[in-house]
Amino acid sequence: MIRVEHLAKSFGDVTVLRDVSMEINSGEVISIIGPSGTGKSTFLRCLNLLERPSGGSIQIDGVDVLDRKTDVAKIRQKMNMVFQSFNLFAHLSVLENLTIAPIKLRGMPRQEAESKSLELLRLVGLGERAADFPDELSGGQKQRVAIARCLAMEPAIILLDEPTSALDPTTVSEVLAVIRRLARDGMTMAIVTHEMAFARDVSNRVFYMDEGLIYEEGTPQQIFDHPTREKTRAFINRIRSFNRRLTSPDYDLYAMNAEIEAFCEKHILPRKTRESLLLLVEEMLQVYAPYLRAGALDLTIRYSEKNESVESIWETAGEPANPLDSDRLPDELGLSIIRSLTDSSDYRRVNDRNRLTLHLRQA
Amino acid sequence: MEFQARKEAGGVVVVLGGRLDAVTAPEYERRIHELVDGGDARFVIDFERLDYISSAGLRGLLVTARLLKAKGGQLRFANVQGGVRAVFEMSGFGSMFQLDESVTAALAALS
Repeated sequence: MIRVEHLAKSFGDVTVLRDVSMEINSGEVISIIGPSGTGKSTFLRCLNLLERPSGGSIQIDGVDVLDRKTDVAKIRQKMNMVFQSFNLFAHLSVLENLTIAPIKLRGMPRQEAESKSLELLRLVGLGERAADFPDELSGGQKQRVAIARCLAMEPAIILLDEPTSALDPTTVSEVLAVIRRLARDGMTMAIVTHEMAFARDVSNRVFYMDEGLIYEEGTPQQIFDHPTREKTRAFINRIRSFNRRLTSPDYDLYAMNAEIEAFCEKHILPRKTRESLLLLVEEMLQVYAPYLRAGALDLTIRYSEKNESVESIWETAGEPANPLDSDRLPDELGLSIIRSLTDSSDYRRVNDRNRLTLHLRQA
Repeated sequence: MEFQARKEAGGVVVVLGGRLDAVTAPEYERRIHELVDGGDARFVIDFERLDYISSAGLRGLLVTARLLKAKGGQLRFANVQGGVRAVFEMSGFGSMFQLDESVTAALAALS
C-alpha cells in the first residue's frame, strides 16, 4: 500500500532522515520505536506530506505522491493522522470536529455526516459528549475524539504520532484500547510510540529507527526479545530485561546473583527490591532443579521504569506443567516464600512451552 | 558462610555469618552433624551476623531440629532479625521455633 524508497529529509544542515526504505501492506500495524530525535515523527510527517522530503520517493497504491502533479489533498484523505497534541478545533463542538471534513471535503450531506460521526463517537465511547467542546474534555477523551475524527474520513491508513505521549498515565490505556480495537478490525496503521508493551501486542512489524534510518526491523518477538543489532539491544534493554538460559542443574547461583545485582544497579532498583528479587530467583531455581535435568530454562526479568515494577518470566519446554503446583514440590517452605514475595503468579502454555510469570510484590 | 561454634554456659553457641542458601546449606549441615555426633545436644544458633537465608537454609535448620529431637536435645535461635527474620515470617518458621532476643537469653532458657 505504501512504498518508501531512500527517503531523506534535512532541515538546513541537519540531516534527520538519511535513507529510509520500507513498505506497509494493507491491514498491517507497524510500530515505530526509537530514541527521541531519530526522525520517527519526521518520517510520519513526510508520509503525510506535512514535510516535504529532501530526497527519495513515496508511493501510495502505486501513485508517486512527490510528483508535483499529484493531488496532495486527495492523498491526505486516504491517509489520516492522529497527533500527540490532539489538534482538535477548539471553536467547534466534538461532533462538528468530526463532521467538518466529510461535509466540506466530500460534500456529504449534514445529516449523513452527523449520523456517521455519532456512530464513530460511540465507537470510541464518547457518544454522549457530542455537543461538548474540546476544552471540556480530558486529554484521553480529546485523543479519542481525534481518532474518531480520523475515522470520519474513512482513511485507508491512519498514522499515529505518539498518540499517548501527552497524556497522563491514567488516560493512556483508554486511548490504547481504541487503537487496539482498530487494529483488530483490520485498520492499516503506522504508530510512533514509546508504549513498548502496547507496540509488542498490537503490531505485525516493528521498526526501530536510529541513525536516520530504519536501523532494525522485525516482528515484535524479534525486536523485543531477540534484537540483533547493538543499538536496538541497548534501547530495548533500557526498558527490560535480563535474559538467561540455564541448561543444567549445576548453574552457578552466585554468578547469576552478580548479574542480577548488576542489572538492579543499572536500573537503580531499591535495595529491598533487589533483595526480594535475589531470594525469589534462588527459590524459583530450586523449584526448577528437576526440570533442568530434562531441558533448558529461560529466565527473563523485566523491569518497568514507568511502574517501577519487576516481573520474572520462567519458560521451559516439555509436558504441560505448572512447577508451582504444590504436589510437585517437596515441601511448602520454598512456595510460602515465593508466595510472600510475589503478588501475582500466572501460568500458561505458550507455543508448546510452559510459561510462569511472577510479579514481584512492591515494598 | 561463616560457622563458628563455642561452648558456653552448658550449651553450644553456633555463630552463623554471611549466607545460608542452596550453596552453603550442605556445609552447614555437615558441620552441625559433626557437633551433634560429638555429643553436644543443647544448641543456640546466633543469627546476628547472618545476612541471608533461603528455604535451603531453613531446611538445614529443620534438619538440625530433628537431629536434636532424636537425641532429646534442645535448640533455640537468637538474634533473628532483618531480612532473615522476614524469611522466617514468610515461611512460618517464626512460630515453629523458639526465638530469643539475645544469646544470653537463649542460653538461660536452655533448661
